[in-house]
Amino acid sequence: MSLTLMKGSEAVAEAAIRAGARFFFGYPITPQTEIPEYMSARLPEVGGCFLQAESEVAAINMVYGAAATGERVITSSSSPGVSLKQEGISYMAGARLPAVILNVMRGGPGLGSIQASQGDYFQATKGGGNGDYHLITYAPASIQEAIDIMMFAYDKAEKYRVPCLLLADGIMCQMMEPVEMPEMVDFKVEPEKKPWAVTGWKPGDDPKLRAVINSLFITTEELSVHNDVLQATYREIEKNERMWECYKTDDADYIITAFGTVARIAKSAADMLRSEGLKVGVFRPITVWPFPYDELREATKGCKAILDVEANEGQMKEDVLLAVAGTKEVQYFGHCGSQMPTTDEIAKKIHEMKEGR
Amino acid sequence: MSKKMYVLIGNYGSGKTELALNFAIGAAARGERTELLDLDMVNTYFRLTEPGRLMRMKDIRVVSPNFTNSSVETLSLPAEVQSAFAMDWDTVVFDVGGDAVGSTALGRYHQDFEALDPADLQVLNVVNIRRPLSGTVEKIIRLQEEMEVHSRLKITGMINNTNLAQVTSPEELRDGYEMIRQVSEKTGVPVLYTSGKKAMLDLFLAEGHDPQYIGTPFPIDTYMARDWESWVRSL
Repeated sequence: MSLTLMKGSEAVAEAAIRAGARFFFGYPITPQTEIPEYMSARLPEVGGCFLQAESEVAAINMVYGAAATGERVITSSSSPGVSLKQEGISYMAGARLPAVILNVMRGGPGLGSIQASQGDYFQATKGGGNGDYHLITYAPASIQEAIDIMMFAYDKAEKYRVPCLLLADGIMCQMMEPVEMPEMVDFKVEPEKKPWAVTGWKPGDDPKLRAVINSLFITTEELSVHNDVLQATYREIEKNERMWECYKTDDADYIITAFGTVARIAKSAADMLRSEGLKVGVFRPITVWPFPYDELREATKGCKAILDVEANEGQMKEDVLLAVAGTKEVQYFGHCGSQMPTTDEIAKKIHEMKEGR
Repeated sequence: MSKKMYVLIGNYGSGKTELALNFAIGAAARGERTELLDLDMVNTYFRLTEPGRLMRMKDIRVVSPNFTNSSVETLSLPAEVQSAFAMDWDTVVFDVGGDAVGSTALGRYHQDFEALDPADLQVLNVVNIRRPLSGTVEKIIRLQEEMEVHSRLKITGMINNTNLAQVTSPEELRDGYEMIRQVSEKTGVPVLYTSGKKAMLDLFLAEGHDPQYIGTPFPIDTYMARDWESWVRSL
């Protein structure tokens, strides 16, 4: 195994290229500008195209266009920039275009701060743009996991014809970790496997084979049929694509729910509390949509109470409450000013819960 | 006592900030009047912010483009940088931004550096060959040349700081030694330091390599650590 020390942003960018991405369209914004920077140097080396668009709105529409050809396309941004992209993302969901979008979350709302945050959970999992749609949304907790997810994200996006979202935070993209980079995937657009893609049609070809990428369905009947297909796809994804991690939950009296970077801090807190004799575990959704409701309910069956820890005002707590459906006490701890919760703070909160406060 | 000036440049993520802290804290511990300057115009994220508080406690003067001690760092060079040249320090450490882009900030102080006694100035290229963009002899040499052009300074030595963060083994320093040795032979730039956590460094030194390509062994402490150190591969 050969390890290199990589910054999160370089690593996800390289992983996207190794997964077959050859097109990047984006606009710089802290804390993820190293992604476009890396892409601008690296994509020409592999025959790809990097383009700094005039805005996030332009960039996501370029992603729409390039994805329509069946190629593997990526864009990245941070919270305010991802807000700007929402219209295009909704159009892509409507037009059933696979692509990978990265949101490296920073503080909000508005311009917020440039420090890490998890404040876009609702936007990522409950909508963002208009209409009834979902993105398969992964929340990696390490750089290696972000790489590994990137290596199959396009396969999932193409299988279901949905955009995938990688939901990271500023720390994830700025920190460095030793990683193992997978081999380059040999990706080529195979028109017979992607009949929906715009791969070239000339007069004389069967008009029925002409691919049209579109999210407009004028009649209510047509739109209903289209949305039924989308909803059936989302049910399939919910059934097949849930990912989660149980960390020392089997015998735990207290279970912390957390995602992304915060889940790593929660694991350290759990270990710390266990060394003091308290049985604490962590349940970490890896896909935040589809959310692993059943698995969370199952994992928390034997525990006394749940502590939801987030670097936001407790957005995921709503999903935790849905999962346990009133059968468990659920408390929240976190910050929404871009401060990361610390192990000490989490431990203190668990102690308070134990004392019935 | 003359003023000793250390300028740390190098590839993104090669460990400049960590080494700069170690140089400064080491000097202060010897009772030297020390100034540490944060010239990183490139990465405003993981910098001296937290250790900045640490620094003040240890009587080190820190100059950083930091807005009201918050995490917001203004992308401008503070006027106080001039104090490095104008004031009477024993040790001055410059922590510079990554790559050629980062080292550009030094060009502004060309005349000040020129006025120094060359014997008092060390311009050190911090090398970690486990970083993808300094993973070959050619890449290290190319980066070194670019940084010299952008900084308007001559690199006087290299630091072998090869590491894989928390999973570093002596193999890292050994591989770094082999590659940096080749760079040194080709460019004539000497290896002035080999740095790492003390335990790792001792294991490497016990292997008995040519001291010419080790330079001064420089054991370091980590000040930029996080409170979660687990590297998880959970898929």
